[in-house]
Amino acid sequence: MEFTTKKPPIKTNQERSYKKLLTLHISLIIVSLGAIFTRAFIPLLEEGAQWAPDELFKSFLMLAVGVGVSVLLELLYALTEGKAQEFTKYKRLVDPINTGLLIALLLPTVTPIYVLVLAVVVGVYAGKIVFGGYGYYIFNPVLVGVLFANISFASQMIVEGTPLLMLKDALAGGASNFNLANLLVGNYEAVAIGSTAAVLLIILFIYLLINKVVDLRSSGVFVLSVILISLGIGFVNFDLNGMLVYTLVNLLTGLTLFGAVFLISETISSPTSRETKIIYAVVIAILTMAVRVLGTNPEGIVFAVLFGNMITPFLNRTVKRSNKSTFIKTVVISLFVVILTGLVLGFILQGRFIELFNATALMGGLF
Amino acid sequence: MITENKQFLDPRKVYIPLTDRTSKIANVLVEQSEEVKVGQVIADKYNGKFKTPVISTVSGTVEGFIELEDRFGKKIDHVIIENDYNYSTVKYKDLTLDASPSEIKNRLEEMSVNQISVDGLYTDVDFNKPVNYIVINATYTNEPFISTDYEYIKKSAEEIALGIKLLGRAAHTENLYLIVDKFMDEETLYNLGKATVDKGIEIITINSKKMQGDDYKLIRKLIKKPLTNNLLDDGVIYTTVCAAKATYDAVVNSLPFTKRQIAVTGDAFKANALYEVRLGTLFTDIVEDLQNYQITDSLNLHIGSFLTGYQLETDEFSITSSVDSVNVGVIREDEEEVCIKCGDCNDVCPAGILPQNIMDAELRNVNARIVDLNTSECIECGLCTYVCPSKINVLEWVRRAKRRVG
Repeated sequence: MEFTTKKPPIKTNQERSYKKLLTLHISLIIVSLGAIFTRAFIPLLEEGAQWAPDELFKSFLMLAVGVGVSVLLELLYALTEGKAQEFTKYKRLVDPINTGLLIALLLPTVTPIYVLVLAVVVGVYAGKIVFGGYGYYIFNPVLVGVLFANISFASQMIVEGTPLLMLKDALAGGASNFNLANLLVGNYEAVAIGSTAAVLLIILFIYLLINKVVDLRSSGVFVLSVILISLGIGFVNFDLNGMLVYTLVNLLTGLTLFGAVFLISETISSPTSRETKIIYAVVIAILTMAVRVLGTNPEGIVFAVLFGNMITPFLNRTVKRSNKSTFIKTVVISLFVVILTGLVLGFILQGRFIELFNATALMGGLF
Repeated sequence: MITENKQFLDPRKVYIPLTDRTSKIANVLVEQSEEVKVGQVIADKYNGKFKTPVISTVSGTVEGFIELEDRFGKKIDHVIIENDYNYSTVKYKDLTLDASPSEIKNRLEEMSVNQISVDGLYTDVDFNKPVNYIVINATYTNEPFISTDYEYIKKSAEEIALGIKLLGRAAHTENLYLIVDKFMDEETLYNLGKATVDKGIEIITINSKKMQGDDYKLIRKLIKKPLTNNLLDDGVIYTTVCAAKATYDAVVNSLPFTKRQIAVTGDAFKANALYEVRLGTLFTDIVEDLQNYQITDSLNLHIGSFLTGYQLETDEFSITSSVDSVNVGVIREDEEEVCIKCGDCNDVCPAGILPQNIMDAELRNVNARIVDLNTSECIECGLCTYVCPSKINVLEWVRRAKRRVG
């Protein structure tokens, strides 16, 4: 009797990468529905306000266009490759749909539709297909598209009065007034339609954490670092109450939670070992907060994650083995760097370094 | 799931392989149609300078020699002995529990208790190099994925404990460890605990539901450095409870190691059974005893642990002392997907190296990077493939990388 052979191991565990992708897909659809709902019906919370049918239509249109263009592009590419047959199965559609939804969710409601289409084209074509499709890209295609839209069409997409901008005013001495309930349900002007409902994102974060789609060592460390840096900045600039408000606004608004759930947890363009995952998350958190505090853009996570993707090969190259001592070393150094960054950013904001900067500027002028 | 306990102790003929994985040269001591007894030395096999006797497992006449595939998939010579069902045994000197180390060593050698577990990390019972630690694994008698009722351990807990003690005396070491499973039933744990309580054997509990290389981590903690591919070089004998029991039987009861328990499992059989078989039995005889294969298409025959083990193209091989389980089933091919770089393999690797990065380097043919990543420390435990969500055979890539840099 003849037997076929296969290289052992013959037994593997129950985890499947398609199952992970599908879990992410379902949570993205939930977030999309939540986004449409919040955009349309949240104004009702305030007395005398009407619900917003135009917002509902616009956000729905954005999501539909994002998905449509993304799927169409991949399908066209598959046609030229002669692999269009794969698209008869839903399995092949999950990733294009995810990309389209994510790009649409990361843009504000004021975005013109042609900007969205261009963003999806750039993201999917230049960010994904050029590198060989799902599994091979080196930059997160979603963020490539969003960055293109944010930079090239900045004037069409200005959103006034987001909580982060209000925080900047508060730091400059202006008055600010935040309502925790409003921040949690998303009753404010947002830089992206998907990022508003903090409660929903927190629930999804826990759900995906249990399903092992989100890694605590990257996303968790990112959230923790953002909290620590904001606490540091708040500690230098405000009293205790102000410090807490500053931290909460930084955590709940902007793209912090959205990034932790959907952008940093993206595995293909992030490092692979536990030490590098921590460093990756810390670098992204520091850059995000630096852009928020010092830059002109209200939100810096897009730049930060792309920078993280950029240094990923370098991070992968530096680590040679992963054991307990290197892990503990990484954690301790990261913690130190995060706290130091928080304090330094706080002092810069308070203007204590201004003299120093002036001195260097003077020297620069001399040479 | 094991449903039956069976015995197959009276084969008509036994086929005894002359060489094995480590000892590759044999010197035959019997001739055709010569009468042999149970325990009689029929050949000497050599591993470099060291000689190991090959013993007969039945009494009867030598019928001839034949070339068969052994359990490692290599064609080697076998001696055929026809059974006369008398089982007249060679006379041995009586030994007691207080036997001296050299007496125990000689006895284990002449009873051919040397190669009982070969999968993964397990070592031979070999005292040619200095031994500092003896680690015995009781978490499973056959295979972690085959759930058993631990009947074997329950019945012979006392003998296992005394066997470990004897092994320790032969190796001149006091460092004896017994690994047990957290999910063992009360009775097994109670029996083992009662047997080992005042014999200086340290019991270590692990969680075998989580596959994470606990034994590797334990041994690394003992010797305080990364392990080499053969634990004997690190001064560790690591083997299963079967070896401890065989040691006790050989020394105290003067019983040569002629029968052992194997698990025969898989979809191809009507019932999965725990067999007590005589060594040298052809596997086809056992298949016949189990009423043949129920399925015949694209079957896969796997010997030993599901993660490391060996696969053969034929079922005509003889059961040797190192066969602990045989699985015959329909091949389950999961479609290989693209690597999503989740890093699960990097997290689980008990040696602390980075299989994903090694695979990446191997794909890009960067030799310097493969050396840089300590690829030679891989012990081929197969856990990286086990956890991979994309079902990539990571272990195969790491093996290729190892071969490339030597």
